Amino acid sequence: METKNRESRTKIKIRDLWFSYGKRSILENISLDIPAHTITSVTGPSGQGKSSFLMVLNRLWPEIDGARARGEVNIDFGDGFEDINRSGADLARIRRRVGMVFQAPDPLPMSIFQNVAFPLKLLPKTRRKISRDALFSKVASALKQAFLWEEVKDRLDDDAALLSGGQQQRLCIARALVLNPGILLLDEPTSSLDEDAVHRVEQLLLELKKDKTIILVSHYTDQVKRIADQGLVLRNRRLVGHGS
Amino acid sequence: MSDIRDRVMAVYCTGAALVLVTGLFTIIGFLVIRGYGVLDATLVFGDVPVVDALLLKRQVFNGLFPAITGTLALIILAMGLALPLGLASGIYLAEYAGRRTKWIFSLMVDILAGIPSIVVGLFGFSITVFLHNVFPGRIFPCLMISGVALAFLVLPYIIKTTQAALEAIPGATRLTALSLGASGLENLVYVLIPTCLSDIVAGVVLAIGRCAEDTAVIMLTGVVATAGVPTSLFAGFQALPFYIYYTASEYAGPSELNSAYGAALILLGICTGLFVLAHWIRLRVGRRMGIPG
Repeated sequence: METKNRESRTKIKIRDLWFSYGKRSILENISLDIPAHTITSVTGPSGQGKSSFLMVLNRLWPEIDGARARGEVNIDFGDGFEDINRSGADLARIRRRVGMVFQAPDPLPMSIFQNVAFPLKLLPKTRRKISRDALFSKVASALKQAFLWEEVKDRLDDDAALLSGGQQQRLCIARALVLNPGILLLDEPTSSLDEDAVHRVEQLLLELKKDKTIILVSHYTDQVKRIADQGLVLRNRRLVGHGS
Repeated sequence: MSDIRDRVMAVYCTGAALVLVTGLFTIIGFLVIRGYGVLDATLVFGDVPVVDALLLKRQVFNGLFPAITGTLALIILAMGLALPLGLASGIYLAEYAGRRTKWIFSLMVDILAGIPSIVVGLFGFSITVFLHNVFPGRIFPCLMISGVALAFLVLPYIIKTTQAALEAIPGATRLTALSLGASGLENLVYVLIPTCLSDIVAGVVLAIGRCAEDTAVIMLTGVVATAGVPTSLFAGFQALPFYIYYTASEYAGPSELNSAYGAALILLGICTGLFVLAHWIRLRVGRRMGIPG
């Protein structure tokens, strides 16, 4: 019963969301609720605003020339709902709490270890001061969560760009996990992975949803059926499907 | 048909690269053959003991030591002035400037890049004359004015390479750190600059080379044949490229001409040393930022 209540709690409430790049409208009049501790898939044809939808939830869109979003995006970070789309919102804080993994693996120009430790270095000074052991422990834990530890534990100082595409993608997942965000956004995270790695990432997402809310853009219907609790379908700028 | 075109293209490109490499080795080989024989302590320090010359206890009148120190001082001064300005301007154009400002500023930088060095020298000379009139008897052609003029000459290289290197970074890479909570400045320092550091250093190396070899600018703004080791920013100075030019045009015998080849070899060595230093700094900076070599 407790689990049931926990699952039914709403984590994200979107009301009348409109998104555009310049004069080109991408999303129109989107309103929906996303429950906590679920995997929500976002599907639809290419170019229908799936990635833009994720950028709204991470408040990343102000970094893109001409992008504009209006409407309410209320997220419960544990102390009541907060409209992250309001002007004056603390963007760095929001982005630390809403982790994001992009479609193409994008390791930073650093070593494997530094890549995963990087978000910890961005924390405000008061929270950044952690011992070397604690830092190592957090990085190792994130790499283990992303099923990458065994493959890189002996070469943490190697350039992250030397990893294979699949390893790089899991590195990006580890990097998003190291801050333990309450919400995880994934934009086709398995598109460059082999079958075994896809299975591992899916298992990881099922494990992570116990304490995170996951929103997954995916083109793979089978994958959506396997792991998603609810699905959103975007087409012609609108939300045309929403359900379990 | 396309196969033949591919082959022709490959042969043409390989041939061009070979011509370049052959030309480079021919020049270096020629310099080594002509200059290696005269490369010794006498060429650099004349008849002054090395320690005395290095400690500036005695002036070197018949060696290259003053020209070497003058060249090094000039490069350090010009790069010291041009680097912060050039890097900051390049970053401004790539990251902060609006479309119209960028267009106007880029046009100005392109025009600046196209100005012949002799014209920059004349500009430096005009400044010297102006300052001489404002401060009679106190300002003459000197190291400082040459350094400023040379900095002016190499600024476009640094600005354009920095701007181009930053603008070539893919959009996804720009968003990665921001999506993790980095500020614009953190993104610039930790991700964007390290990503294109090699390209920026390539521009810096090009600028160092230009500072080391340019003769037209310094001839009009401060270099003299017998100034000795520069002791002040407002003193005249000697420089290797001017020595080479002067000796090659007015040599009295083969041994004097060969000393110009020796000077050219030393100049080549200084440039190579500075290039190595620039790449070493890139590696050090990269390591401090967590970028493996």
